[in-house]
Amino acid sequence: MSGIVRGDQVGKDLLVTPDVCIVGSGPGGAIVASRLAEAGARVVVLEEGGHHGKDEFDMQEATAYPRLYQDRGNRATADLSISVLQGRAVGGGTVVNWTTSFRTPDDVLAFWRDKEGAALTPEVLRPHFEEVERRLGIQKVDLEEVNANNRALYDGCKKLGWSVDTISRNVRGCLRTGYCGMGCPVDAKQSAALTYLPDAVSRGATVYADCRVRRIEWSGKRAHAVIGEVLHPGTQEQTGRTVRVEPRIVVVSGGALNSPALLLRSGLAQGAVGRKTWLHPAVAMLALYREPIEGFYGAPQSVASHHFAQRGTDAGFFLEAAPVHPMLAGLAFPGFGPQMTGQMGLLPHVSVSVALMIDGFGDGEEGGTVTLRPDGGPRLDYPQGPRHFECFRASMKALARAHLANGALRLSSLHVPAVTVTSEKDLAALAAAPLGPNRCGVFTAHQMGGCRMGADPARSVVNPELRHHFVENLWVADGSVFPTGLGVNPMESIYAVSSWAAQHVRSALARA
Amino acid sequence: METRRGFLKKTLGGAALLAAAGAVPLALRKTQLRAARQPLRFFTPAEYSVFAAVAERVLARGPWQVPPELAGALRSRPPAPAPSEVDVAGKADAFLAPLDAASAKELKQLLALFDNALFSVLTGGPPRPFTRMSPVQQDEHLERWATSRMAVRRTGFQALKRLSAAVYYGAPETYASVGYPGPPDELVRTVNAARGRP
Repeated sequence: MSGIVRGDQVGKDLLVTPDVCIVGSGPGGAIVASRLAEAGARVVVLEEGGHHGKDEFDMQEATAYPRLYQDRGNRATADLSISVLQGRAVGGGTVVNWTTSFRTPDDVLAFWRDKEGAALTPEVLRPHFEEVERRLGIQKVDLEEVNANNRALYDGCKKLGWSVDTISRNVRGCLRTGYCGMGCPVDAKQSAALTYLPDAVSRGATVYADCRVRRIEWSGKRAHAVIGEVLHPGTQEQTGRTVRVEPRIVVVSGGALNSPALLLRSGLAQGAVGRKTWLHPAVAMLALYREPIEGFYGAPQSVASHHFAQRGTDAGFFLEAAPVHPMLAGLAFPGFGPQMTGQMGLLPHVSVSVALMIDGFGDGEEGGTVTLRPDGGPRLDYPQGPRHFECFRASMKALARAHLANGALRLSSLHVPAVTVTSEKDLAALAAAPLGPNRCGVFTAHQMGGCRMGADPARSVVNPELRHHFVENLWVADGSVFPTGLGVNPMESIYAVSSWAAQHVRSALARA
Repeated sequence: METRRGFLKKTLGGAALLAAAGAVPLALRKTQLRAARQPLRFFTPAEYSVFAAVAERVLARGPWQVPPELAGALRSRPPAPAPSEVDVAGKADAFLAPLDAASAKELKQLLALFDNALFSVLTGGPPRPFTRMSPVQQDEHLERWATSRMAVRRTGFQALKRLSAAVYYGAPETYASVGYPGPPDELVRTVNAARGRP
């Protein structure tokens, strides 16, 4: 059997014996599948999420979030203090992300080499980035294509003399609908489901959608089998069927949070598994403008400012825009009753900008921890401390200043209760407002770490070639291997690093 | 770190202890029930009623300090449908039906505690369930949870607020009231044409 197999097409328990079993079909799993299938390996991919195409993408949040996101759009830290946007579908997060594409910054790679013994250099990764950029049509946005929501941030930064630029996006024939986060309705977004997965399938790979991996069976230094339970495509309830894969090599590509949880469920708790999970925790400011912004239309993200990425010993942060659709806005807007509903009534006039903290570079910074929920899914704890609070305060001040400089009538923070800013004199109140769990809205759309790469088995989970330190035929290829946050949106880095790792998997296959 | 999971156990434990000390009649004051439109799949009738009452206040409209430049824009919106017209509690019930057992248990404990008259008194509120408070008292009750020094109550407030807001604003019949035209007609036509539909 080859192609993409839905849960309702699996009518009996299956046993398959490919060369490679890949768990997860996001950017990491998809590109590894493509590279190995191209090299002639027999590849099976198991994906928990469903296989959805543009015909199903109805541009409605109430449909998209339960269908295409982890925990039906409800994923969060255990104390609900940080909302987690993370994709769940054939193609993983690439089906729902906002297309922002960056190469890994050189200084981040240098930090990984110096501190963790990682092997990655800009030179090593360059051909992988170049190929990914070609395959995904990654191109820099023209300023004329930027919507008013992004333009407000851009112009505010320019007026203050801060560095800001348009970003690159992985699209072809983009109509700039604004619905990237709900699945591209016109197949302009070059997701893994439209690129590397079909590439893999055309070379004989099989993708089992609706197949949740419970555990990896292993003994000694060898993984023997991957056990998947088949889900009904509509309800996502178990059908009772199982897929048992007995491969020569296993590649775990479930993404940060799900990959460490799978290792933990499988009894592979050695090293730093689940520890040092990074989120780029983001705070936001809502800016009200006299003229309509209509942040629900147009490319959701098209500009970014890394002006504050380097702040000495304090955590850096970067600024981007966020789309302003009603459900996501309702989740984020501060307060309740007239304060919230009043602000919602002005939705077309609201510009939303976010500041993402670059976590993982502080001395002794621990980040988040993934453990197991009673149902076996990942439980995420991410304590906020003084380093976060300092960064959040500086972030909100920067966002407020940018929008004030651009002529916003008024800004509101996501504190409980919200702080209103109408001029620079209000910035002191913004800085003084209390922070802490559920005292101010915090979000993450970038999950990294938890199976970090490194030379020291006590501090990491996989070695510098992304092979598990103890199980010799087990690899991890996704954002979970990053030793720190990236300081940029992670999709393109996940593709390139996983593409590089596929070379090592291929060599191991040849040796086996 | 205090977590959502730890909290309900601790606070419920504390409430039970005080109840045992003589305040049992207060703890037993009953939820004001409302009829659901559809058979319930997740909530009990009492839980449905508590959530419906919360959603009504979370989504309440009223005086707000709108910037004068935008007062006209706000006035031009069609009236917002009431949460009950959108059936927020019914839609939440359907959304929550597949929730895993552990999370379901927590949410149910939260709703019970939120409507518990004894817990209201212990936290500075009136001696009655949330569902039997006046709207002003209900708003004060929500505010106390939202800004509580106990992280766990803030978590509880956020859970109820976000669920109410997500269900309500995710419903297309509320779009016009917030000035959101929905997916642009032209785009919907283009997409449908590409799919070979009228």
